[in-house]
Amino acid sequence: MMSMQNLILALSRYWAGQGCYLAPTYDLEVGAGTMTPDTFFRVLGRKPWRVAYVQPSRRPTDGRYGENPHRVQKHFQFQVIVKPSPLNIQRIYLDSLVSLGINLSEHDLRFDEDDWESPTIGAWGVGWQVMLDGLEITQFTYFQQAGGLELFPVSVEITYGLERLEMFLEQKDNIYDLKWSDDVSYRDLRFREEKEFSIYNFEQADIAMLQSSFNGAEKEARRLIDQKLLLPAYDYCLKCSHLFNLLDARKAISVTERVKMIGQIRTLVNQIARLYADEEGEN
Amino acid sequence: MEFLLEIMTEELPSSHVKSALAQLEEKFSEEMRNSGLETSELRAIGTCRRLVLVADLGERQPDQEEIVTGPPRTAGLAPDGSFTQAALGFARSQGISVDNLQVLTTARGEYLGFKRLKKGKSTPEILEEKLPALIAALSFPKTMRWSDKSFRFSRPIKGLLCLFGGQIVRVSLEGLVASSQTYGHFIHRPQELSVHSYQEYYQALKDNLVLVDPAERKEKILDGFQKKLSSLKAQVYPDDRLLERLLWNIECPLVIMGSFPESYLSLPLEVLSTAMREGQQLFSVVRGKKQLPYFLGIADAPADPKGYILAGNERVLKARLEDARFFWENDLKVSLAERADQLSAVIFQEKLGSYADKVARVEELVSYIADRLNLRNIKKDLLEAARLSKADLLTEMVREFPELQGKIGGIYAQRQGWSETASRAIYEHYLPVSWEDPIPDSTGGAILSLADKLDTIVGIIGTGYAISGSSDPYGLRRNALGVVRIILDKKFHLSLYRLVDKSISLLQKKLTLPAEQVKTACLELMAGRVRFIFEKRGYGYDLITAALAPGLDYLDFTEARIKALNSLKSSKNFEQFILMVKRVKNILKEAPKSRLDPARLSEKEEKELYSALNIIKKNAEEMMVRGDFAGAQKIIFRLQAPLNNFFDRVLVMAEDKKIRNNRLALLSQVQSLIDQLADYSQIVVTSENS
Repeated sequence: MMSMQNLILALSRYWAGQGCYLAPTYDLEVGAGTMTPDTFFRVLGRKPWRVAYVQPSRRPTDGRYGENPHRVQKHFQFQVIVKPSPLNIQRIYLDSLVSLGINLSEHDLRFDEDDWESPTIGAWGVGWQVMLDGLEITQFTYFQQAGGLELFPVSVEITYGLERLEMFLEQKDNIYDLKWSDDVSYRDLRFREEKEFSIYNFEQADIAMLQSSFNGAEKEARRLIDQKLLLPAYDYCLKCSHLFNLLDARKAISVTERVKMIGQIRTLVNQIARLYADEEGEN
Repeated sequence: MEFLLEIMTEELPSSHVKSALAQLEEKFSEEMRNSGLETSELRAIGTCRRLVLVADLGERQPDQEEIVTGPPRTAGLAPDGSFTQAALGFARSQGISVDNLQVLTTARGEYLGFKRLKKGKSTPEILEEKLPALIAALSFPKTMRWSDKSFRFSRPIKGLLCLFGGQIVRVSLEGLVASSQTYGHFIHRPQELSVHSYQEYYQALKDNLVLVDPAERKEKILDGFQKKLSSLKAQVYPDDRLLERLLWNIECPLVIMGSFPESYLSLPLEVLSTAMREGQQLFSVVRGKKQLPYFLGIADAPADPKGYILAGNERVLKARLEDARFFWENDLKVSLAERADQLSAVIFQEKLGSYADKVARVEELVSYIADRLNLRNIKKDLLEAARLSKADLLTEMVREFPELQGKIGGIYAQRQGWSETASRAIYEHYLPVSWEDPIPDSTGGAILSLADKLDTIVGIIGTGYAISGSSDPYGLRRNALGVVRIILDKKFHLSLYRLVDKSISLLQKKLTLPAEQVKTACLELMAGRVRFIFEKRGYGYDLITAALAPGLDYLDFTEARIKALNSLKSSKNFEQFILMVKRVKNILKEAPKSRLDPARLSEKEEKELYSALNIIKKNAEEMMVRGDFAGAQKIIFRLQAPLNNFFDRVLVMAEDKKIRNNRLALLSQVQSLIDQLADYSQIVVTSENS
């Protein structure tokens, strides 16, 4: 019964039952489910919103050439946004774990203070990391700000780390030993990818090309903002963010440049957020 | 009658719980005092999920006499003493007979009016009125909003329970109305519990897996530790901060003990204990100084029936240790010297440049200090240590566990073959991190720490940052405290003034404020810390002010001065002497500055004072140079007899201006000698008031 795909199916069914729309995975490289338009744009403004989706999340610096049993440069998040945050959202979340067959009375589940922020998209929130027998399985956040704007009403974001949760369910010590389905393992699907992308991210990525792509994408985003094409402009911000992460993995960014580049992306994202919120306010 | 309040919340950060309880207790007690309600046995207890107040309160406010004023006497009473229309109207409007009016004298003059008894409000009325604002006024370092509310709190509030004398008090806040209901353990016993008293509340929670009293939880934890450890002949590696944190985070403590593969014991103790503490909040188990392959954890559960909790923690810890070993092995592949060369790319602080810049300055300071202290034998090692001190900022270990900075640098340095002195200095150079933290043990570590902290203080102050209230983002107070503690405890005979000058000169180009202003601000900061330390050591406020008056150039001397004062304060001459000094100071208060002309001294007593002064001055100053302030102070007491005679027999304020000024000049020489020891006039003596 236990496998990554059954986990995804169970969580999807549970949250669909909570009135969430099941969004398809977004087709750009992102560092976290928070960054896709289904979260970023929808937490702005006053309209209620409920969404759940699986999002592959790329963090080039976490690559370990397939040699580390826990760290990978791409992992899968199950992202949930509920806006406004229901007053019993913690209980709703606990019930999602119960729906996975976890008997909470046999475990130690804790909500541990852990506030979240993403300087790149001008966002921060307050909440916890959820620890299950010492393993962090979920990030639970009440969004306070995104794109530099105060959010009202407040959305709650629940991000399950799917591999972590599956390792817990299967009681496995090695991520590659997880089952994706009955006869396909995580290793079958991902080992080669991890190895090759680690080599690419850390050793092979062409710094000059990345740098000029970053500049190109940044310029394009700016141009699109002027054209009020906010969704395409935001896509180019996401590209900037991923290119930045690649440059970071190549250790090609000094500390000063790092601050500058993050600031560049944030400025664009904040402009997009403001224009989007203004339009929403008019409608 | 018994009052009980419970604010149920989602999990508050543990530091917030502690502060919220303290605030609740204080504000509530103040509010009740202001309302005239008798309050006793007030207690604030709780967990991360509930803030609880219990007290015994009076049933109602006492009735109060209230004065109601009407028209002024002149308007209310006709000349014949009869009531006017204005008075009659007023009485009617108040619903009283006009005969009850009397003339009342108020601050504004005489008025017609009457006194009546205002009935005190009942306690529930007052609670309903006051509690919502009191809860809303709790302050937290960071607050949030939730749902579609604009209300702010540390975390969402889920419910209120409020009882007085067993009855519900309908306190309402943000759409919530208090009831007599609470809930058991959120994960393990989430059922609704209805209670009528604190005793019932306490017991119902206990039966449903919540120990609401932190003292009880602590006892259970410590007891659990002991039970687990007794068979091992081992100790828990003390970590009060972690214990404190868990104490508030957990409602139902369960101590677990687990193990990890012995192969990880090849990692240093520092790395092991940090990997356990951060993320998983586990305690290390040691025997003496030796790490054992065990850990202790505190779960929030009644039991671990299937061993899942223990197994899960072991699995996660193993993964973290595996990661730590990966960092350890990778880090060791690169020499610290090589990493140090890359520090120019790491910003220390925007206006102060890179860590490479900082390290260069610290090297100069270390060299200067080593010369002043005649430490030629270790100077080379210390310079090496300074150069490598920040290299570990570029290691993966520090990136993963920032609190290992310094320590891990020292360990890597030792592994890579640097001298014991240099490695140790690197290891210790962030100490002391807090007031409880020890200062560096080695002389090298102390000097490096001193230089590093001084550079930060002077640099940050010199680029225009000022500490205000609780805002001290660069930890200047903590750094200054470190500087002062190191100099005092290591008994470094160093001129603080010249040390600050040296640091300013090294930072010259970067500073945005004038050097003099920077120096004054730095010394003021340090003086505050010296005071703090002396107060902690139990010296009286007046003695501290007196001993600090001659300045804090050589802190070892400052300390010698206060010690001397403290040991002399009970001697029988002391009070007399203080009074004498105050007399001298008083006379000199408005005296013009003039030069002493010994030839003009005519009276026997003033000549004697002059010659006594010269001898005492010579002796005292010699003693002070040696740092013997107790000796110097005793010698100076000998001024008392000649001064007494002088005051008895000689008229200071003589008619002749020249004689007068000459005598004042003599006294001012006395004063300037005394001033080198202390400002005695600051000292409070008992006989003064009599």
